[in-house]
Amino acid sequence: MTAALLAITARALLNRRRTLLLALLGVLLVLVTVLYRLGNPSDTESLEVTRRLLGDFGLGVLLPLVAVIVGTAAIGSEVDDGTIVYLLAKPVPRWRIVLVKLAVAWVVVVLLVVPAMVVSGLIGHDDPGLAVAYAVAAIAGALEYTAIFLGLSLVTSRALIIGLAYVMIWEGVVAGLFAGTRILSVRQHALAVAEAVGGESAVQAELAPGIAAGAAIAVTVVAVWLAIRRLERVELRGETA
Amino acid sequence: MSAIALAGVSRWYGNVVAVNDVSFEVGPGITGLLGPNGAGKTTLLHMMAGFLAPSAGTVNLDGTPTWRHPEIYRLIGFVPEREAVYGFLTARQFISASAALHGMADRGPAVDRALELVEMVPAADRAIGGYSKGMRQRAKLAAALVHDPQVLVLDEPFNGLDPRQRLHMMDLLRRQAAEGRTILFSSHILEEVERLSDRVLVVVAGRLAASGDFRRIRRLMIDRPHSFTLRSSNDRALARELLAEGEVDAVELRDGLLTVRTGDYGALTRAVAPAAQRAGASILELRPADESLESVFSYLVRR
Repeated sequence: MTAALLAITARALLNRRRTLLLALLGVLLVLVTVLYRLGNPSDTESLEVTRRLLGDFGLGVLLPLVAVIVGTAAIGSEVDDGTIVYLLAKPVPRWRIVLVKLAVAWVVVVLLVVPAMVVSGLIGHDDPGLAVAYAVAAIAGALEYTAIFLGLSLVTSRALIIGLAYVMIWEGVVAGLFAGTRILSVRQHALAVAEAVGGESAVQAELAPGIAAGAAIAVTVVAVWLAIRRLERVELRGETA
Repeated sequence: MSAIALAGVSRWYGNVVAVNDVSFEVGPGITGLLGPNGAGKTTLLHMMAGFLAPSAGTVNLDGTPTWRHPEIYRLIGFVPEREAVYGFLTARQFISASAALHGMADRGPAVDRALELVEMVPAADRAIGGYSKGMRQRAKLAAALVHDPQVLVLDEPFNGLDPRQRLHMMDLLRRQAAEGRTILFSSHILEEVERLSDRVLVVVAGRLAASGDFRRIRRLMIDRPHSFTLRSSNDRALARELLAEGEVDAVELRDGLLTVRTGDYGALTRAVAPAAQRAGASILELRPADESLESVFSYLVRR
């Protein structure tokens, strides 16, 4: 039962040209890093720039962009085109559909983001610890982001637009300006993970690791709970209704 | 033997009432849900298959509410009207995935059986995305039949099928019904329902306009005031003879077109030829003036 669900979800996500185009964003990150390293920067300078590349571009742009597109499509695309009826017309508990789809989407996001960040981190700076710290942060952040966007796609049919607005406005602007909002910023949670793994040389995070972990788990659990609740109640109308 | 029972079911979307206080029960055999487009057929079927919550009333399958009880799908196979399928899967993969989601362990034989049932074996290993409408319809049906459900619900299953595929689909549904299954299908085409169903539910504007044995509904539809238009070589003489016959309630001759109204369909059809003979007129054209399904429906609703 789970294997069939996994297979359909993975093929549906990977078959989309959009998903493959996203891989180009990762390539872009690597290219920028390579070009920078060709200029032979000093060790302290390469640490600072690579941190910015992984933190601002990797965790700040690449990860949320990939997660919003993959996360909203994991169930949302099937709701949009009506194929969800073939899943709903089965005696499968709805929580299982949500969890399997979340797992697949998470893996896809990680595959599209993390290899590029690892390669970029290894090229950009000589200490591999930096690449590892940001890779772990991206894996954790990917789960939280994907859960949020999957839940969002079951709440509204405009999940992609709203998700993009959330990434740009909340994560990009509000959490940078007002310290109090950072506890609910996925990017800040991920940076706290990077610091916990790689130490202060990786990043000086704004949130303490314990608080960040607690907030991240709470956000993820609420998003998943909401998604299950919505999928249990999703209504299918006729084409004319 | 499974049955779906609706009691006082209504469903509205905001201010729009799609289904209005409908009660009926569907048991083994083939039941046709007949109605014009937009009458609420899909809304009814979706409520019966557990995809929509009734705004009022209850929809039960063997006593279990269909809404929010996914375990009912062990008993139900549903074929949606929408054409959307996983185009990247082959029919075999699609049907096999369906079987897997039903938790079936030994899937191979069941998948082969379903493919044979819909005569899709030769095309089974091609991607559904490249199928014709008729082939998609059959793949969807096979996926709905793979777990051998007691109840089969089909939304406009004949849409897009050519005449041969249509006959084949009818034959297939008849065989499923002969094995004791409960089959419910919707259609806006009178002829399909007439040829296939033991029982008919007529839905118009969200209400159940008539239900029961098809012959009874057919009689209701036939024993109603009928209008015919006639063109002949001598309309005036023919009109006189028909009126003299007494089978005609009214005649009207306008713009060279003779319109005849009768309460008795059969008697008029028998009277026309002799009347023409007596009038010395040749009949060029005789056709029903108001046989559209909508006029039949609106007549049933007025009753």
